[in-house]
Amino acid sequence: MSDNNIMKGGPGTGLLILSAVVLVVSFGYVMFQLMTVGHAAFNVSSKLPWGQPISTYLYFALASSGLGLIASLPLVFGFKQYYGIAKRAIFLAFIILISGMAVLALELGHTFRMLWAIPFNMQIQSAMFWMGVFYAADLLFLLWKFQKMEAGDWDSRNTKIIGIASFLGVLLASGNLALIFGMMSMRPFWYDGSLPIYFYLTAITSGMAALVFFTYLAYGFTRSNMPEKLQIVFTGGLPKLFATVLGLTILFVTVRAITGLYANNPEVYHVWADYLFASPLYILSLVFGLLLPFALMMSAKLRVNPQIQILVAVLTFGGLFAERYYFVVGGQVIPLFQGTWAWDMLQYTPSVTEWALTIMGAAMMFTLYVLGEKYFDLSAAPQLERAPRTAEPRQATA
Amino acid sequence: MAKWGMVIDLDKCTGCQACTTACAMENDTLPGESWQDVLFYNEGEYPSAQMKWLPRPCMQCEDPSCVHVCPTRATYKDEDAGGIVFVDWNKCIGCKYCMIACPYGVRFFADEQPLVEPDIRDTYPGENGQMWSPPYQNPEQDWRRGIGIQPKGVVSKCTFCYHKVSKAPEGVADLDEDDPELKEYVPACVRTCAPKARFFGDLDNPESNVNRLIADKKGARLLDHTGNRPQVYYLGAGASIPAFRPRES
Repeated sequence: MSDNNIMKGGPGTGLLILSAVVLVVSFGYVMFQLMTVGHAAFNVSSKLPWGQPISTYLYFALASSGLGLIASLPLVFGFKQYYGIAKRAIFLAFIILISGMAVLALELGHTFRMLWAIPFNMQIQSAMFWMGVFYAADLLFLLWKFQKMEAGDWDSRNTKIIGIASFLGVLLASGNLALIFGMMSMRPFWYDGSLPIYFYLTAITSGMAALVFFTYLAYGFTRSNMPEKLQIVFTGGLPKLFATVLGLTILFVTVRAITGLYANNPEVYHVWADYLFASPLYILSLVFGLLLPFALMMSAKLRVNPQIQILVAVLTFGGLFAERYYFVVGGQVIPLFQGTWAWDMLQYTPSVTEWALTIMGAAMMFTLYVLGEKYFDLSAAPQLERAPRTAEPRQATA
Repeated sequence: MAKWGMVIDLDKCTGCQACTTACAMENDTLPGESWQDVLFYNEGEYPSAQMKWLPRPCMQCEDPSCVHVCPTRATYKDEDAGGIVFVDWNKCIGCKYCMIACPYGVRFFADEQPLVEPDIRDTYPGENGQMWSPPYQNPEQDWRRGIGIQPKGVVSKCTFCYHKVSKAPEGVADLDEDDPELKEYVPACVRTCAPKARFFGDLDNPESNVNRLIADKKGARLLDHTGNRPQVYYLGAGASIPAFRPRES
């Protein structure tokens, strides 16, 4: 079934070596900088404390959540035509979350202290405490679910319960992650009760991009190499779903932008007018990272074209990485008090170390991905799909 | 137990920044790590432009948002210590969420790029876990309350000079630097204030001077709409800072 999976052969080994080398070099560089220079190697400051490492973590964590939500289509909601993508989606969700957590761990002042200080102090008022709880649960359920799939158990009662628990875990984790920002009334650009919806939508969009890209990558960017079940998914509902979530993401960004630009509140208005829309990179990311992919996926002909799907996935990757970056930094660029220390908007550009941390996360993701493709059959799906489906209702009515 | 509060009379404050200097000397803070600073700002335009300033310590809020968000309880409000908000440097993981959540911008992650060169941390490298170890430093060290020179990777902030205040006689209504019996217990910024624009006392004591000043001179809290309810009150005109507006280039 997976004979055409190039990750199992030489190209996979080549990519594995390349990504492992990049991982080791970037990790080594970050560690060297942290040991010698400390967190001064980052370009963040007490005025703007969260920078690109946080947005990278957010990007990975939400892509993972998106993949978890996509996998719940067959595993929780019974869309069995999507069974072919479920195992790869769960695996990718797991490794992308691990990669994101690795980036976050190196951003913290005290990484290992976190492991005991958070559980032992039980500060349930803190959304960050719940982030730890929900993402730990998410990780556990993903692993458990993957183990069940690996054992060929797709439809047992236990598997379904784990699937539902995992779905709820993903919803809670990514929704709570949104509220880490959304509950900060002193940061009006973020302060928004509907932020979890925005996070869900963008999570699914980035998860979809990851799924499309990595599935094509496994088959040498040639759809005809894929198992038939996967080909059906990629020419059927999945591209439409991709177009839908891209459209909803654009809608949400538009609504936030209109609200921000209409509002007199300078802490929101100036972020949109003088930071986001004043940045050519942000506009480029909107046009080429969201609008163009949406336009391409709206065309019935183009959205099933493999090259277009790959292009859209790559563009969306970049677009949403920028979206996360500008979201995190945008919430802090207006100084709390204008005057000494900050006479104008705060400036922030990621340092080399911060970029190395982002690259490290991506390299870790690629390394784990190739290992996964090599050692597991990620395109596996239940073999006797049709028989139980037709048998179940009869048994139920008998 | 007292509930310590500070009153700052902006009509008396000359913006001399002696408070900032005294705080830095007392608490061995780094350049830029101003637990207490004087924020200078402009308001209005010619011909009615104003130059204003606002001394800014930690507000030791009654309902501190920094405490709510801290995932490890490293930041906590100690009612038994006069309601002062502390950072336990043994518990802080350096996530900086409290810095995001503080509406007043009075928390510092000093493990960052130096404000001025040469970096004083290179001149006096840290010993015994300290981020830097100057030859002359306050012997008072209490990492559970964020007092002293911090280790790397944690957040620091104003402690209302708890190491001094905590030694004051029980039941005292005000800590007045003019009282020879009490001057050693007065926070450094209050004690050094030449125009006597700062007052420090017990907000729970109806007889305290700080309560009288708040009542008689219309004490106001900074950014009261945040709901944090500071234990620092400002008197006089201009206890507010205009909203942000971009500078014309």
